[in-house]
Amino acid sequence: MLLQLNNIFKWVNSGGQRIFLLKDINLEVEEGEFISIMGPSGSGKSTLLNVIGMLDSFDEGEYNFLDESVHTLKEKHRANLYKEYIGFVFQSYHLLDELTVQENLEMPLIYKKFKSSERKAMVADMLDRFNIVGKKDLFPAQLSGGQQQLVGVARALISKPKLILADEPTGNLNSKQGEEIMELFKQLNDEGVTIIQVTHSEKNAEYGSRIINLLDGRMI
Amino acid sequence: MIKNYLKIAWRNLVKNKVFTLANVIGLTSAFAVAILLAMTALFELSFDQFHENKDTAYQLYLSNQTPRGTEISTSNPVPLAPSLQEEVSGIKHISRAVSEDVLAIHNSKELSLDAEYVDPAFFEIFTYPAIGGDSNNPLPEKNTVGITEETAKKIFGTAQNVVGKTLSLKIGREEQPFTIASVLKDTPANSSIDFEIVIPFENHPEYLSSKDRWDSQFHPIYLQLENGVTPELFEKNTIAFTELHYKGGIESDIRDGALPDANGKYKQFHLMPITDVHFASYTSGTAKVNRTFPIIILGIALVIIFIVSANFINMSIALSEKRLKEIGMRKTLGAIKKQLFFQFWLESLLVFATSIILGLVASNLLLNPFKTLFRTRATFADVTQPSIILLFALTIFCITLIAGGYPALLMSKLSTLRALKGKLNLGKNRLRNSLIVLQFTIAIILIAGTLVLHGQIEFMRNKDLGYNKEQVVSIPLNGKKDSNSVVNLLRDELKGNPDILSVSGADNNLGMGRDGSISRSMMGFDYKGKGVVTSTITVDYDYAKTLDLELVAGRMFDRDFAIDSLSLVINETMAKQLGEEDPLSITIPMDDGVTYSVIGVVKDFNFQEISREIQPLTLFMNKDWDLYYAYVKIAPNNVANSFDAIKSAWEKVEPQAEFLGSFLDENVDRTFRREKTMATIITSGSVLGILLSCIGLFAISMLVVAQRTKEIGVRKVIGASISSVALLLTKDFLKLVGIAFVIATPIAWYFLNEWLQNYASHVSLSPLFFLGAGLAATLIAFVTVGTRTVKAASANPVKSLRTE
Repeated sequence: MLLQLNNIFKWVNSGGQRIFLLKDINLEVEEGEFISIMGPSGSGKSTLLNVIGMLDSFDEGEYNFLDESVHTLKEKHRANLYKEYIGFVFQSYHLLDELTVQENLEMPLIYKKFKSSERKAMVADMLDRFNIVGKKDLFPAQLSGGQQQLVGVARALISKPKLILADEPTGNLNSKQGEEIMELFKQLNDEGVTIIQVTHSEKNAEYGSRIINLLDGRMI
Repeated sequence: MIKNYLKIAWRNLVKNKVFTLANVIGLTSAFAVAILLAMTALFELSFDQFHENKDTAYQLYLSNQTPRGTEISTSNPVPLAPSLQEEVSGIKHISRAVSEDVLAIHNSKELSLDAEYVDPAFFEIFTYPAIGGDSNNPLPEKNTVGITEETAKKIFGTAQNVVGKTLSLKIGREEQPFTIASVLKDTPANSSIDFEIVIPFENHPEYLSSKDRWDSQFHPIYLQLENGVTPELFEKNTIAFTELHYKGGIESDIRDGALPDANGKYKQFHLMPITDVHFASYTSGTAKVNRTFPIIILGIALVIIFIVSANFINMSIALSEKRLKEIGMRKTLGAIKKQLFFQFWLESLLVFATSIILGLVASNLLLNPFKTLFRTRATFADVTQPSIILLFALTIFCITLIAGGYPALLMSKLSTLRALKGKLNLGKNRLRNSLIVLQFTIAIILIAGTLVLHGQIEFMRNKDLGYNKEQVVSIPLNGKKDSNSVVNLLRDELKGNPDILSVSGADNNLGMGRDGSISRSMMGFDYKGKGVVTSTITVDYDYAKTLDLELVAGRMFDRDFAIDSLSLVINETMAKQLGEEDPLSITIPMDDGVTYSVIGVVKDFNFQEISREIQPLTLFMNKDWDLYYAYVKIAPNNVANSFDAIKSAWEKVEPQAEFLGSFLDENVDRTFRREKTMATIITSGSVLGILLSCIGLFAISMLVVAQRTKEIGVRKVIGASISSVALLLTKDFLKLVGIAFVIATPIAWYFLNEWLQNYASHVSLSPLFFLGAGLAATLIAFVTVGTRTVKAASANPVKSLRTE
């Protein structure tokens, strides 16, 4: 089992009232799964994803990730955990504007203190695998949205995470580009990477092996 | 329109409270300090500008070619002035003038006054108006004097109806009655000649003995040229005169191997404009007019304004990014460039006007502490002349125009579309970075200057001067009694006290005492066919014992030897100059027919200002010559008690005269007051400069962090740690400080090295000073930026990424 959420609650206090963002979420994810989270705007999809990605905290419940109890970990250990095992893909790509494609891919490796030669090899590998060798010296602004997201996925993958969290990865793309990204995810999943994605599109959700529906912070 | 502008401007200022506050505080303190500094500088520069004849009034000085090189002297013989007037054309008025203390006695009151012995023409040349008596001729007769208003109040309690009253003055050893012929206005604070009483020159104690002597030189000469006569013409006119009257001197100079100057002359008179006198120094054989001090102060004032203006520009530009939409909107609504410019400029103007007004108020409030701190007598009244106010207003207007106008111009120039898109690409912030670099360059130069200046002051303070300055009290002998007997009486009074180790006296102080006078006596004579020049001090018994002077050979003056009035003690430098193997064999025939013999050699000690090299020195002991200072050496313990004992002994011996005793180390400190003032000014300048630079840096780092929030979030999500993000953000700023350090160091080194050359002995300019300055700047910048960046780096990335 990769991760397990037990009775997760998350709320904010607003005007003396407790507004629940997540309400009693129970979820088990096995390695190799491809999960799609769906639901209308404001239903808590992104919040759930952030909680799973350890970017956001929760107020009640238990979260176990690879036999570590995340809820008892200190901030620093938690950060180490997600850096080690989780890759993120965003709707608006979040590439670093002033870095080239190659440098963007290299960044996570630098933060993980890989040696220069290793980094070069891994980046070259990744460029090769995603067919973007020719674009390695371009800046994000010089790429199309689809290409940027491709780089985003490559960057998420480069440190060989066990889990990829994608927050509406196709939201800013046209249908053809979106399809390409989903195909890529499918392929990655086949290779053994666990993927959890948030999406609005029924069609994209179909790529997953399991669909979770959220409404007002509750799983239905 | 304007109302709308003002409204928007106000709302914008309120919206960006932090920046507005930072700007107003920064600008206010900068303006307040700059105003005070500018006032000090302008006051210094205004010295002697009040004389109506300032364009034609000069001080006379003589440049001598001697075997030791060119020497300049402003001391002149008594017959020179009358002879010049008679024999050289072009002189309208000429006056001798010498400043000395004189004791005034009125009823039971005794008062030491700063007297100026002058010729009547003194008042034709200079503007020291009389408010009582004959203002055309304040000194009609030999036995009349003029006193200033303040002196009149001090002596008589009033300045009214003082003219005609009699005042006794003790000149030399005699007490004489004088009639007050005039009451003069107090000398302005910015007058380089200042006095409390003027006395006709003929009453000077040396006058009678020196009346016809060309070799006794002790007073400056001031003169006013006829209209149309240039100083060059006058100097040329004096050539024949000099050759005639200084014939003997010139001949012995030639004999001793002096080289003539560029014109083939050995002695040449020159004129120093009266307005330059305050800034003139004659140390290295040329007359140098040096206005560095006020110019540095003015420079610091400008630099502070620059730093704070740079802050303003940086913040305005950075903030304007938030307003691009507004600019675009206004443009689509039909605003033209000029209107936009005016709107933004008005905002800047609002900030500047507020700050300037607050700055003026603050500088007024700070005026008194400032004056004590910086020992300036400058007042607003001295500098509030219409032309200066106009200049000041103009400067401020220009600063406002540039600092406020530049961001305004930049924003109004943007194309509508680019503005609406909200992307402001300002060439990679090159302007911002260069301004920060410049700010820190200035800050580092100022810090280095502060460090070196303090280093030099400490060096001078701790330097072994060759005498004991911690345990010796010097007392100006400003009483009525004969000085030699006062020293003896003091000796008797203090004899029983075990903490008083010894008492002596001399005609010269060490350092500058509380009487504020520094004097120098020199004499020259021929020794074995060679001209010799030496400083001289007349001393009492126990001089070496009291001051802990070290004897190298022979003995000091001793009560057991009857004929010590014909003995000399010289210092090592003098012994070297005389060049005898056994200095104790030297006998010197003086020109009054008596022969002196050297009985001892003392180790060199700094008997003059520390900045000078030690000169040849000869000590005399003659009970017929006056002493002016008593020295008392005390035991290292019970210092306060001993000092009180000395004071009460003095009050017993000279009950009428004020006790002005002070320790020699205080006296020495007093001689580098100027350095200390400069150090205080530069220190406060650098502290303020750094502080203001930091305000700017802090604001900029805040904005940069705000701009890069998304990037920080991304980096953290892909695995960056807090420290690496903080470092990334801080690094950019530290790089700028590094560049500033590289630029500042050579500049600071050059100027400080130049400055230190003024001191015969000075601290070595070690790289540590500069490293220290650089390190301090880096540390300060690091702390300033670090607080912001660490906060940004530790923020949860989800927050920054949520803005999709």
